[in-house]
Amino acid sequence: MSVLPQTENHVSREGATVAPRRQTASIWNRLTEYVQNWGTAFVIALLGLVVWELSVRLFDVQEWLLPPVSQILSELIADPPLFISNGWVTLREILVGFMVSTSFGFVMATGMFWSRLLERSVYPFLIASQTVPVFTLAPLLVIWTGTGMTPKVVIVVLFTFFPITIGLMTGLRSVDTDMVAMFRTLGATKWQMFKKLHLPSALPYLFAGLKVAAVVSVIGAVIGEWIGASAGLGWLIKTSGSRYQTDKVFAAIFTLSVMASMMFVFISLAQARMLRHYHQSDSEGATN
Amino acid sequence: MSDTSELPLGNRSTNGHLKSVPSLEADSQALRGGPSQSPGQQFPATAVSVKNASKSFTSGDAPTVDAMIDVSLDADLGEFVVIVGPSGCGKSTLLNAIAGLIDPDVGTVSLDGDASAERIGRVAYMHQLDLLLPWRNVISNAVLGLEIAGIPKQDAESKAADLAKRFGIADFLDAYPATLSGGMRQRVALLRAVLPERNVLLLDEPFKALDAITRAELQRWLSDVLDRTNRATIMVTHDVEEALMLGDRVLVMSPRPGRIVLELDVDLPRPRPRDVVRESRFVELKWQLLSALSGETVR
Repeated sequence: MSVLPQTENHVSREGATVAPRRQTASIWNRLTEYVQNWGTAFVIALLGLVVWELSVRLFDVQEWLLPPVSQILSELIADPPLFISNGWVTLREILVGFMVSTSFGFVMATGMFWSRLLERSVYPFLIASQTVPVFTLAPLLVIWTGTGMTPKVVIVVLFTFFPITIGLMTGLRSVDTDMVAMFRTLGATKWQMFKKLHLPSALPYLFAGLKVAAVVSVIGAVIGEWIGASAGLGWLIKTSGSRYQTDKVFAAIFTLSVMASMMFVFISLAQARMLRHYHQSDSEGATN
Repeated sequence: MSDTSELPLGNRSTNGHLKSVPSLEADSQALRGGPSQSPGQQFPATAVSVKNASKSFTSGDAPTVDAMIDVSLDADLGEFVVIVGPSGCGKSTLLNAIAGLIDPDVGTVSLDGDASAERIGRVAYMHQLDLLLPWRNVISNAVLGLEIAGIPKQDAESKAADLAKRFGIADFLDAYPATLSGGMRQRVALLRAVLPERNVLLLDEPFKALDAITRAELQRWLSDVLDRTNRATIMVTHDVEEALMLGDRVLVMSPRPGRIVLELDVDLPRPRPRDVVRESRFVELKWQLLSALSGETVR
């Protein structure tokens, strides 16, 4: 009774040719884009290191005050296992904390999306939790959970759950009303709409939250180790600092910052991959 | 479509007021590319009936806005009704009411003669914006309605791929919306709207966001794809020529608060070629519409 085919027993899709994809070209484009985006910062960082090295040597600064860059590098090269093993300890705390935060954020944001009551009862406390200086909680955590991995993970979670939860919640809420109307006219249930519209729409916001969380998670782990630990980069910084081993402190800081950057880059890559169709790209394939 | 259990509306003959449309059947048979299921089907004539509907909106301290007042409208299966009116005259309010997105404050909206039934999910609705999901490619966007109706993915996709040929988007099924032009995106949006096979299709200024050339092309294309198909189509536009090119009947709405000020049968033969705009009858009808739009009373 309508134009639409119903009793089709042959399905031909010969017309359904794939629109041209320029995979290799896009990888090359992305590379050049990275160089353009990060090249400047890289050069500036390099210049800064050179100035550091030269001025330390020129003004004959004491090594325990500020070691030259070359000294820090040789410290790194002299004992890589020290930084790798301690780095691994810290990284584990970060990753576990991150996973806990993401799960927590998911449950919270989804819960608040579905229930205004839950939002009203939980949201103020989420905000309040961020006004407490986490550093002051650290001694309590040590008293309650000891000096093992747990207090560090807890602190990482305290630092990271907030941006993840808020990011995801904002994303779930900021769906275009026209889109919602369109789904409703198609007869979608609320659950279908959540799965097919709200969740995918929220991904960019979630990734924004994850990026912030990735950067601050390192701070959380270091604070945790500062209070009481027997390994980890934070511990290494603290013990080396008290022995005036400034070069080791810098080497550990360098390792930490590389770790945080790598997490950020990793999440950015995942984002670029998962959201690759979200934005208006070049209009290749447009014929009309 | 009569054999889909999801859509019991099609051949319900409740009001005894039936109309058989043999030419439609021939057309749909050609479109199917296969043997027709049940020739000589009959349908309830009036698919949509709006009676004396009014709607006003209040928001905060702002004064109440009357979006439409006392609007009545009937659309039969197989009929293409166009509503013309200036921007902000409540045309979209009317469509939203028919689609069940809102309820009129006063008056009724009936689908297939039933004023009390839930309307949401029973009316195909294509918005001004294409509203394609950017994370889905063309075929996945097109099957969204079928997917929501619980039709297996493979069936849905083969159905969509089939119709996509007629829609001129068969070559783009794997492309993502961001790579498509505005005209192509509108085609996909229309495909998504019609695939679930509803009796009523609402088009809310579907070509508004397009440039003039694409617009003219899509108007002709639309009358090709939809013309004489067996559903009631109600289109809203502010373009008088578009209304006359496509419509069987044109209703003119006044500026806010929207009321119907003129109802006009478009007695131009189909198909209407591009140069129909030069015919005297076309010009006359156009003048009547324009006069009604500017507030004068004709006839």
